[in-house]
Amino acid sequence: MTDVRDYLREWAMPHVLCPGCAHGTILRAFLEAVKRLELDPDKLAMVAGIGCSSRLIGYVDFCTLHATHGRAPAFATGLKLARPDMTVAVVTGDGDGLAIGGNHLIHAARRNVDLTVLLLNNSIYGMTGGQAAPTSPAGSVASTAPAGTAEAPFDACKLLEGAGASFVARVMAVDPIMSTNVMVEALSHRGFSFVEVISDCPEYFGRYNALGSGAEMLAWMARKEAGVAAALANKRYVNHVPTASDTSGLATGVFHREERPVFTGLSTQAAR
Amino acid sequence: MTEARLIQGNQACAEGALAAGCRFFAGYPITPSSEIAEHLARSLPGAGGTFVQMEDEIASLGAVIGASVGGMKAMTATSGPGFSLMQEHIGYAAMAEVPCVVVDVMRGGPSTGLPTSPSQGDVMQARWGTHGGHPAIVLAPASVAEVFELTVRAFNLAERFHTPVTVVFDEVIGHTRESVVLPDHVDIVDRRRPDGPVEGFLPKAAAADDITPLPAFGDGYRYHLTGLVYDERGFPTTDPTQTGALLERLHRKVDAYSPEIEDAETFMTEDADVIVFAYGIVARAAREAVRLAREEGVRAGLFRPVTLWPFPAKALEAAVGAARTVIAAEMNHGQMIHEVERVAASTAEIVPHLRVDGEPISPAELLAKLRERAAAQTGGRG
Amino acid sequence: MSGGDRTEIRLAGAGGQGVVTAGRILAEAAILSGRTSTHSQVFGPQSRGGASRSDVVIADAEIGFPLALDLDVLVVLSEAAYTRYVPELGDAATLVVDERAVPGTGDGRPQTHRFPIVETAHRIVGSPVATGVVALGVLEALTGLVDAAALEKAVGSRVPAHRREANIQALAAGRDLGQAA
Repeated sequence: MTDVRDYLREWAMPHVLCPGCAHGTILRAFLEAVKRLELDPDKLAMVAGIGCSSRLIGYVDFCTLHATHGRAPAFATGLKLARPDMTVAVVTGDGDGLAIGGNHLIHAARRNVDLTVLLLNNSIYGMTGGQAAPTSPAGSVASTAPAGTAEAPFDACKLLEGAGASFVARVMAVDPIMSTNVMVEALSHRGFSFVEVISDCPEYFGRYNALGSGAEMLAWMARKEAGVAAALANKRYVNHVPTASDTSGLATGVFHREERPVFTGLSTQAAR
Repeated sequence: MTEARLIQGNQACAEGALAAGCRFFAGYPITPSSEIAEHLARSLPGAGGTFVQMEDEIASLGAVIGASVGGMKAMTATSGPGFSLMQEHIGYAAMAEVPCVVVDVMRGGPSTGLPTSPSQGDVMQARWGTHGGHPAIVLAPASVAEVFELTVRAFNLAERFHTPVTVVFDEVIGHTRESVVLPDHVDIVDRRRPDGPVEGFLPKAAAADDITPLPAFGDGYRYHLTGLVYDERGFPTTDPTQTGALLERLHRKVDAYSPEIEDAETFMTEDADVIVFAYGIVARAAREAVRLAREEGVRAGLFRPVTLWPFPAKALEAAVGAARTVIAAEMNHGQMIHEVERVAASTAEIVPHLRVDGEPISPAELLAKLRERAAAQTGGRG
Repeated sequence: MSGGDRTEIRLAGAGGQGVVTAGRILAEAAILSGRTSTHSQVFGPQSRGGASRSDVVIADAEIGFPLALDLDVLVVLSEAAYTRYVPELGDAATLVVDERAVPGTGDGRPQTHRFPIVETAHRIVGSPVATGVVALGVLEALTGLVDAAALEKAVGSRVPAHRREANIQALAAGRDLGQAA
């Protein structure tokens, strides 16, 4: 294997992503990690829910399970327990993984099932047309929050660390090399690994909040400003949710890593 | 044959699953089905299987589908409130053609209802509960022995037709212990796996008998499974021709095979004037009532659908024959009675005997009903 | 709907008296005697305390309706059980009452037998947990419903090994009570 494009189902193209969407860059970063680890495509399963991020799995030539909205961690748990010989990766989004599927995600983390979850956070529901997500910064405009959202957003990494994920990291689509490096570590980690990938949605989040094109959104991402909140603060919105990252910039990297017993299903022996 | 044992309906369900080759169970605690999970938590690991308690019923059936995609025979068990939550994934399994078994031990409803009382309130939900039109196979055992037998059959049907199969029984059958002799061998059906080359494998290419092969993930065939409408490659499509073809095929898998799937029991219907239509525990009461009515000279009979869905309409039509009255007895506000009316209302009077107070319908009350209807018929003749 | 070869027995008392276990033992003993049986119990939200009830149906062949409908034998081991179940009991049915738990009752009723069942269980095992098993011994002697060897075997396989001896003793003590009647 010399080129990650060999992992693609070219017959499934063209893809559904919008111009300027960074999800494709993230998929490329993941495929580079697969290549570097020399994972056997026959033994690699990707499980996804519903949303733009989840559609990525349709374009890769692995075993791909396009599940229901938010439930990919549950499907993946069953698959991994049935097929411990396979590497199972979940691709989810901020709405899919943190709203409708939030409970499944934190319980998969708590069990420490040997899964790798990529949560592509673009701060909005893209596929359904730009509705507010549990990651939309307070004050940001969405089709269901025309005057700006009044709710506080989740910090996905803190949530997952609290839930017991044994590997927690955040990367940005604007840094595909770092993304690949972290994904390699996540895929190599024994247990539940969680990688939040900051993506963009120029079509809805960018347009509704006057953040510019995809390239411009990646530019503020590159400055490591505090997520979209900082970008918004420079415009006309105020982030009402003070967080530590507001002053130091949006942190990236591996935040948490521990070795703890991996759940492989109830067995006649206690957990190792 | 082994010796007779006293076992609970829920235990018979767990043992049937094991006998059928079930090696994966995911579930969430709920009365009155929890004994199924508890039994499998003890017995699956020793049988080389896997048990996991999930965070809710949606996740339970999700994990079951994931395990089945990995090649394991898999099951979950629940009761009304959990069965409602599972509807989303029953639809997914029907659409993506993933074999799995869902057991619903029915309790009083709606909502939290009566957790420890019997009911038959979920039989229409078992048919129509998930959104969109979908085929359904639903089995309704009436005894502990039959819970075992039909749980095995549920797996066999799921594996034969690559579809979810639901087993419904009520709290009384789930919790009552009966002396049963379980067979030490059962016939097992395994899903169809592809035998062609991995290269160019089209998972959903037209099959002469409508049953497409289902390789396990990890076995070398790389393919895509989705709950979206898909084409022969298994990839999402919105093309009307392909959409229509898929939906028609999914329905044909049950409709065209319904003679093979349908099952019903009749008792003394040949010359009956009055027939009781009943299933599950109510059929046990009805059989007693029919026997006692016959002793009194009432020409009574019993029709019991063993498969609620597909509904054994032809068998019911034949059983009703010249009978003038069909008493539809159910522990709900009238659900299967609509099927009875559809089939038999043109030739017989359909009389409901419904109970929704959490108490099982007794032989005595059905006997009284049989006497009443028989007397009414005599009066009508005079 | 008792009749023919069908016999219906209800054991009713308080949680902790081993009523459900005793019902299962009786049903299993019937199977060991070559007969057919069913066992049902009342399920409630409480795990401990409260009322407890266990019904057994025994027949020579297949049992049509598995639940008890017209009792042939009722054993009451608590006052609450007495109040709840005795009024609906048919005159032909046999009633066994614990004489301490339900003092001064059942005197005018035919087919009523009074024994110190709870007290006997206390004496043998030091707790009420074997009350149900003592009641089975009483029933065996009084009604001949199931055979003694089968009952003993069923007790042995249903109770934990370290309690087996005490329960066999409890069964024998119950049998003595019944035989003395």
